[in-house]
Amino acid sequence: MTMQTHIKTFTPARPIWCAGCGDFAVQGVLEKSLHKMGIPPHKLMLLAGIGCSGTIQNNLPCYGYHALHGRVLPAAIGAKLANPDLTVIAAGGDGDGYAIGAGHLVHTFKSNPSIMYVVMNNCNYGLTKGQASPTSPIGYHDNPESGMDSILLGLSFPSATFIARGFSGNPEQLERLMEAALDHTESRKGFAFLEVLSPCVTYYDTHREWRARVYNVDEEEGYDPADRSMAFQRCLKLRDEGRIPIGRIFKGVHPSLESLTLNKAELPPAQQKVGHEGHREQYDKFINSYMG
Amino acid sequence: MSSNNGRPILEDVNVIVAGQGGDGSLTVITMLAELLRTNGLNVYTERDVLSRIRGGHAAATMRAFAGDRYCIGSSINLLVALDEEAVEKNARQLDSRSVVVYDDSGGPVPSVLPQGAIVYSAPFNRIAMRTMRRELYKNSIAFGVVGRLLGLEDETLRETFIKHFQRMGQVILEYNLEALGLGFHLADEKGIHEGEGLYRIKKTAPEKRMLITGNESVAFGFMVAGGRFFCGYPITPSSEILETLQKWLPRCGGVARQTEDELAGINMAIGAALTGTRAMVATSGPGFSLMQEGVGHCGSGEIPLVIVDCQRSGPSTGMPTKPEQSDLNLMVFGGHGDFPRIVLAPGHPDDCFYLTVDATNLADKYQCPVFLAMDQALSQNIATVEPFNLDGVSAVPGKRVEAEDIEKAGVYKRYEFTEDNISAFAAPGTPGGMSLVTGNEHNEWGLVSTDPVNRVKMMNKRMDKIKAAKSELPTARHFGDKDAKIGFIGIGSLFGVILEAMEDLEREGVKTRYLQPRTVWPVLEDVLAFIDKCSRVYVVELNAQAQLAHILVHQGADPGKIINILKYDGIPFRPAELAKRVLGEEGRMIKKGKKEAKLQ
Ligand code: SF4
Repeated sequence: MTMQTHIKTFTPARPIWCAGCGDFAVQGVLEKSLHKMGIPPHKLMLLAGIGCSGTIQNNLPCYGYHALHGRVLPAAIGAKLANPDLTVIAAGGDGDGYAIGAGHLVHTFKSNPSIMYVVMNNCNYGLTKGQASPTSPIGYHDNPESGMDSILLGLSFPSATFIARGFSGNPEQLERLMEAALDHTESRKGFAFLEVLSPCVTYYDTHREWRARVYNVDEEEGYDPADRSMAFQRCLKLRDEGRIPIGRIFKGVHPSLESLTLNKAELPPAQQKVGHEGHREQYDKFINSYMG
Repeated sequence: MSSNNGRPILEDVNVIVAGQGGDGSLTVITMLAELLRTNGLNVYTERDVLSRIRGGHAAATMRAFAGDRYCIGSSINLLVALDEEAVEKNARQLDSRSVVVYDDSGGPVPSVLPQGAIVYSAPFNRIAMRTMRRELYKNSIAFGVVGRLLGLEDETLRETFIKHFQRMGQVILEYNLEALGLGFHLADEKGIHEGEGLYRIKKTAPEKRMLITGNESVAFGFMVAGGRFFCGYPITPSSEILETLQKWLPRCGGVARQTEDELAGINMAIGAALTGTRAMVATSGPGFSLMQEGVGHCGSGEIPLVIVDCQRSGPSTGMPTKPEQSDLNLMVFGGHGDFPRIVLAPGHPDDCFYLTVDATNLADKYQCPVFLAMDQALSQNIATVEPFNLDGVSAVPGKRVEAEDIEKAGVYKRYEFTEDNISAFAAPGTPGGMSLVTGNEHNEWGLVSTDPVNRVKMMNKRMDKIKAAKSELPTARHFGDKDAKIGFIGIGSLFGVILEAMEDLEREGVKTRYLQPRTVWPVLEDVLAFIDKCSRVYVVELNAQAQLAHILVHQGADPGKIINILKYDGIPFRPAELAKRVLGEEGRMIKKGKKEAKLQ
């Protein structure tokens, strides 16, 4: 990413991830995609949750925000609604997004704001030393519950517009998916959901296993991401076969939250000057509506 | 009944309409209030509902008066009881001069009324069922009788109906007008002819005044202060703030959003605040508890946010529709760790408006959470107020840097140590202003840091911001006799009650003065000075633990001077009730004084 070199602002930190962690690939691809898309750093707001993946905002020169555990999506939505001209990216892990933040994920699919959400799924809680997460399979650390599938969850929303899954072991495809996701939000088409299979080499190294299990729908002839029932059927079938679908799984059309929420005749909230008298007429109307 | 000439001019009258939820008590009171306001009177209305959707005892109370009153009066002049329970529940507020209009469809009036009270019984329900086949119209019939009793003209009552019911369609209007006519007929039967009620209405040219709730005033204050982003999750008694802003804020280019829960609410508002937008959330106790994590985050990350807590009875889900002031501890001390915050406490809808403007400006200036301590009565009761003076308030922007400033300085640190401990803010989108905002301890750049030297400096920077702010926080208002040795302190809806109890006490020969703190935290010098000057101070609170008094003592007030007057039964204080409590205490003081004198 480029940045004005003569102005001294914070120096991005070096990632604190373990050597070999899948999150490196995610960051690398993200930086590359942003560069390629020509998104300037001062227009980018990168919000991250809590967890290993939640440190990503320290590493990029942009407007960064370290959200509370599980709350990255509402914060990102607030930022986008307040200033839709910003590129808003939310990032986090499976614990952050699917456990404590699950309710917000549901409602973000429902409301369809033009933000990108990258979930680095490693099927465990790396930062707190490997406890089971919502995506951990039965048997992991004696986990008695089966893991959840965020793609299938997203597909159930009529308002879902972009659903994809990448794999850090396949950075070329991840780059294509990331660019498509960014393109989706930059053209204000709504919520771009991108889950990345990002192995935790320290507590749960799934790298090899996943390489053997992934199934790339992008390579399947006749797979149509606009066909929701096809997406559902394929994902369910693959799950029964013990395989994990990756690629551009679904693309739908639905009005974005900001297009439904913002008053187009006015500047968006963040761009209004505080203290101007521009809305005096509305204020007077308000007062009048309470007078006898 | 008094003769035509002897009828007093309607100057101060308290009316309750009570029945079951859904009986339309609130409709009757709302129409009466509107009507009396157009006659130049001020009004104040209160509602007492159970937290259920339909049914259960429900009452609406209205006070109409010439002059300034900020609460319901001590005794009820007119009770309109639509059932037996309505009499039983409200009899304690009646006295020997009260008038009761009673729907005796279900049986004779219960024998709980005070001696001397005049009763007009009429089977509203039965008449409504018999003549109109609908129970629904009983309140319109009752309205006819009440209107006559108050001395209002039939024609103005009819006009009010037309104004009120027209929106609901011609058929509904006609049925209601018919019911009103039945009410007049009934009144005639009871000998209450037009112009022969209990009062005479003095027609004055009505001053232009607003009729508004505290919640609506908060919503408007936020809007005028340049607030452009609001989030809320519906919760009684704060929901009207959300509803009002959903209606008005988009017209000013703002966003008012109902979120999936309170956690989303506060975090979405934080997200908006991060872009430089003035943001606010509103909630009540249980929702406020859920927001605590976000509150601390605003403190640590120096994120400006206004948080309105419309307090209701707690703990836990408590009594959602009843007023209390028992979240003060949570506002002042809530959240983990140490961080600065400001707590403001308005006492009347106009105060709600002006203090919300202040809260919004202060949050932006000091980059910290600012709370508005409301209570259910203040939030939801309707009062007449002077039209808000828009020229008297301004939205003052916080410390900002634009691209040119950064360019010139050649450096930008989000959390820069400065003289006034406030770091300039660069809104996302500003070239060169890239920064990190985090709740983790951080250095000036926003990078996570556990360096002990930085930690202490950063902590001091945050805490000291508020010390410096003290001189510009809203000060208390003083009332009463400057030389009185007996003082009152109380916030929120107690404002009006205390003012009127002081008059009662004065009549009993007890001179008092009152300080209404408008900033609860940090505790300001003027509050402590007031306590210093008094021999004893009655701190009146709607909670069980004397939270406000404890906060004052915590900040240096002499505990020996404070006498707690607490109420937590969910029922608002009436002035006489408060005066009686104080007189009781004063009596004890005198006895104690005599005893001490004897022992010497
Ligand atoms: S603990 Fe696992 S997820 Fe966390 S940084 Fe290390 S490898 Fe990555």
